[in-house]
Amino acid sequence: MSLALRPSFPDYESVSKHNNFNPYSDNGGSVVAIAGDDFVVVGADTRLSAGFSIYTREQSKLFPLSANTVLGCSGCWCDTLTLTRILKSRMQMYQQEHNKTMSTTACAQMLSIILYYKRFFPYYISNMLVGLDDEGKGCVYSYDPVGHCERRTFRASGSAGALLQPLLDNQIGKKNMLNAKEEPVSKEAALSILKDVFISAAERDIYTGDSILINIITKDGTTEETFQLRRD
Amino acid sequence: MSSVLCPEIPSPGFSFENCHRNAMLEAKGLAMPKAQKTGTTIVGIIYKDGVILGADTRATEDTTVADKNCEKIHYLAPNMYCCGAGTAADTEMTTQMVASQLELHRLYTNRVARVATAKQILKQYLFRYQGYIGAALVLGGVDSTGPHLYSIHPHGSTDKLPYCTMGSGSLAAIAVFESRWKENMDEAEGIQLVRDAIAAGIFNDLGSGSNVDVCIIRKGSVDYKRTYDEANKKGEKQNSYKYAKGTTAVLTTKVVDIEEVAVRSIDLERMDTA
Amino acid sequence: MVLESDNDWMNAAHSTGTSIMAAEFKGGVVIGADSRTTTGAYIANRVTDKLTKVTEHIYCCRSGSAADTQAISDIVSYHLGFHGMELGEEPLVEVGANVFKELCYNYRDSLMAGILVAGWDKKKGGQVYSIPIGGMCVRQSVSIGGSGSSYVYGYVDANYKQDMTQEECVKFVTNTLALAMSRDGSSGGVVRLGIISEKGIERKVILGTELPKFYQE
Repeated sequence: MSLALRPSFPDYESVSKHNNFNPYSDNGGSVVAIAGDDFVVVGADTRLSAGFSIYTREQSKLFPLSANTVLGCSGCWCDTLTLTRILKSRMQMYQQEHNKTMSTTACAQMLSIILYYKRFFPYYISNMLVGLDDEGKGCVYSYDPVGHCERRTFRASGSAGALLQPLLDNQIGKKNMLNAKEEPVSKEAALSILKDVFISAAERDIYTGDSILINIITKDGTTEETFQLRRD
Repeated sequence: MSSVLCPEIPSPGFSFENCHRNAMLEAKGLAMPKAQKTGTTIVGIIYKDGVILGADTRATEDTTVADKNCEKIHYLAPNMYCCGAGTAADTEMTTQMVASQLELHRLYTNRVARVATAKQILKQYLFRYQGYIGAALVLGGVDSTGPHLYSIHPHGSTDKLPYCTMGSGSLAAIAVFESRWKENMDEAEGIQLVRDAIAAGIFNDLGSGSNVDVCIIRKGSVDYKRTYDEANKKGEKQNSYKYAKGTTAVLTTKVVDIEEVAVRSIDLERMDTA
Repeated sequence: MVLESDNDWMNAAHSTGTSIMAAEFKGGVVIGADSRTTTGAYIANRVTDKLTKVTEHIYCCRSGSAADTQAISDIVSYHLGFHGMELGEEPLVEVGANVFKELCYNYRDSLMAGILVAGWDKKKGGQVYSIPIGGMCVRQSVSIGGSGSSYVYGYVDANYKQDMTQEECVKFVTNTLALAMSRDGSSGGVVRLGIISEKGIERKVILGTELPKFYQE
């Protein structure tokens, strides 16, 4: 205790001091995706921050990889930039080698491999890959930073992931409810729940706010939508 | 000898009896609980007729918002208020303790307590605890010698200033003051400036948020405007989240007839004279 | 989680990374200081008064931790006030310096304070005492302190003269502080001056825009 209070004389320091450099930073952000029978919606907030400050209020965290595949990223922004740049070039290489666009399911597998390739110096990102599968059904693939991949129908990740997932489990998964009708979620219902959960997340998570960017993917292509959140 | 009827009077001041135990537990790898910190924007200015204090209303616990509408402008005396930033418990308890000391001082001297008195009590208390009491304060008030504004840091240093800010949003707020504060502002102008400084903190600092509280202290009167400005409106939900009756599962049911609840009599206990 | 700015500057001790000085002249002393208080890289106060009154004729220039030096000067001012009442006359500057020294030496492990004590008394006239970190006490005819002082030792040694006039001494102190403030990042703002003589103190402020310029433009 007294050591910290004792005046220090840097010139007479006998032990060398080494500063640890931390290559990662947490830039926050949340991503939510909900899949239906013939569509998938994915939303991400547009706040990019670090520590107690906001870098920008309008940063899209959704990256279209093909006409019916979108990747949502949150976590370390510099890793996101690198990963998405690599993915973009891999998509182009595939296109030119095979003369066709990579399917969502193939994308999902490729992403898993790219992530695991850096098992001991991972990309510090929570990824969420959404799109339509070979039968045209909506699909959501969620990842951990080192490449574990799981297909689901709905998922929340990022800084408010732990706040949102139980809400989705209840509202879309119909968990912990008696007499709940097990029916596939409609596009309109998915959209409104997505907006509502983000309103709630912005109330309690300091890294989620400003606005959300939503991508709606159907067989006819991708449409975009934005929705305002609180800005404090 | 203590018993339920005659409890021992606890010794005054902080209790350090768990320090060794906690140090041992921490050494074994137990994560210690963190205190609630109010990542905060608090400000104060001097204007023509007195002092205006301002604060946001967000309390954070790491990255989650613990309280969306907390009070950060604390009462000290009828002519003095104090904004607190830092460890929530420390600001709360410190101001409460000083408030009681000032009230006794007022009764003893039969005079309105001076702001410098409060400042001296606070700085000596904080200096004694060498920064371990994490209270960063903005103290404002009006006494017989005029309006006064002090900023008090956790280690016990004080600054007397015409305008000041504290907390994680202090940089955003001081920028507003440095560009717009003038001497002898009128009340409306002063309140607007304080609101704008707090709003700068609310919007640009993630540790600050929700509403603006303002407290105007003039000679002989105080206006505490709780939620002076609701800087953020809560988003409107698209759906209704009311659950239909019977949604929650009933695991067991037990019905007790109220008539059958008997009155239980307790035998007299012998007094513990051991 | 890794928080980039763990808000160190909020909890870091407030310290007066400083330029302070005191110099004897014929008939008294001139004391001076910059006005910057920093917490890390943040300027917590740009108009600080580091020339603190102890008695009518004794002042101190504070450098180091703001909390520590404020507490020390409050205590010394209390002791000298009491001593002055018992004595029935103004305490000697030497006594004041020794009370400062006693506190700084006894609590040297927990204090971060470099203090210059200056003043005027009937016995020895204008005097300057330097009490650096560690609690030594030594009388000097001119003394500088704080982080900015290291830049201007040469200037002081070359330009200080015994028995200057008041005007010469004020000019000398102003120049020294302006030079120190221009080189030291944790010093700046305005120059605050105090001229202590038999008559008491006369205070002066030289604004940042009115500081003397040297070879620069």
